[in-house]
Amino acid sequence: MSEEIDVEFEKEVASFYQSLGINQGPGDLQYRVILRVLKKNDGSVTSFSEIRNYTDLFADRGSIGSKMKTVFQLEGLVNKVKWSGYIITDKGRIASKFLDETTEFYKDTKQYKDILDRMP
Amino acid sequence: MNSEIIFNILICLAITISSFTLAWVLGKNKLKQNNKPSLWSLISLWSLIGTTYLAKSIGIFAEYLQHQHLNVAMLNLGSVSFAFVSVPLVFFITYVIVGDIKISSIISSVFAIFGILYLNYFHSIGVENLASTDHSLITSISGDITIYMYIITLFLIPISMILGLLLLLLLQKLPRRTHYKKTLPLVGISLVFDFMVLDILTFTETMQLSARIFIVVGIVLTFLAYFPPDTHQKKLKVNDYS
Repeated sequence: MSEEIDVEFEKEVASFYQSLGINQGPGDLQYRVILRVLKKNDGSVTSFSEIRNYTDLFADRGSIGSKMKTVFQLEGLVNKVKWSGYIITDKGRIASKFLDETTEFYKDTKQYKDILDRMP
Repeated sequence: MNSEIIFNILICLAITISSFTLAWVLGKNKLKQNNKPSLWSLISLWSLIGTTYLAKSIGIFAEYLQHQHLNVAMLNLGSVSFAFVSVPLVFFITYVIVGDIKISSIISSVFAIFGILYLNYFHSIGVENLASTDHSLITSISGDITIYMYIITLFLIPISMILGLLLLLLLQKLPRRTHYKKTLPLVGISLVFDFMVLDILTFTETMQLSARIFIVVGIVLTFLAYFPPDTHQKKLKVNDYS
């Protein structure tokens, strides 16, 4: 399934969770974007260069590589199938579903906050 | 002067003064960029309600003094403000929910057109022919199906919208002070609107007088939202924004 990844929106959602004191997972922009790219290519191999197409806007190559190793590979969210090629696992899909739910929660919360802000 | 007439005039004046005061209080509010349009719509709403009841109180007095011209002039003025009172309310609700000035303006202009149609029909009947009773201003529009339809469209749709918004807020898990500050004005406005419809459609004077008393209650509730009593402030931590 092909879907567009809006890095600016992900940044907004991550900032919201950071403001709640959640700096990892939903509050981590790198985690969010990497997981979105992996989910976008579900069923096929995701190359590191494709991830970097999105992450180069806000993070350097080293920190993304480190995140892939220390979080995604270590926790079993992805399998490394070839040199700089990854495929999402079932656990990764669960993480992606959780990420979708955090996005929905953010949208709902923002919608109500905006409604309340517009009321004098 | 009959005590019932005095009471009716006083109630109408109370509605007028409290509505204008509320509009003035809202006008003094600190404006944020995103609540500016909704604040202005509320100011217009309360001003229109105030104008409607100012015209009514002067009209009742003029009727008592047998001053027919002044009475007709007041009926005309009151009908204009009454016809457009739902426009700012619809704008307020749609702007609060959607957040788009353009969409809110389009939807509220539909109600403005409906208000013009109502005015056109109201004046085609001939305001001069409207009868009134001894103590109030029950006019002969009661019984006219077309006017009923106009009034129901002008009022029932905004009332449903405001109740929908109220329900939306009540279903949310919000802090008590937010619930208090945001929902109480809606309860007040819906009370005022409900009883304004009853006021115009009622057949009996007692019912009309009771409706007007409930309008005052609605305005008082709105006041309480902006100026909560000390006991409530402590209980609900209304002014605690930390």
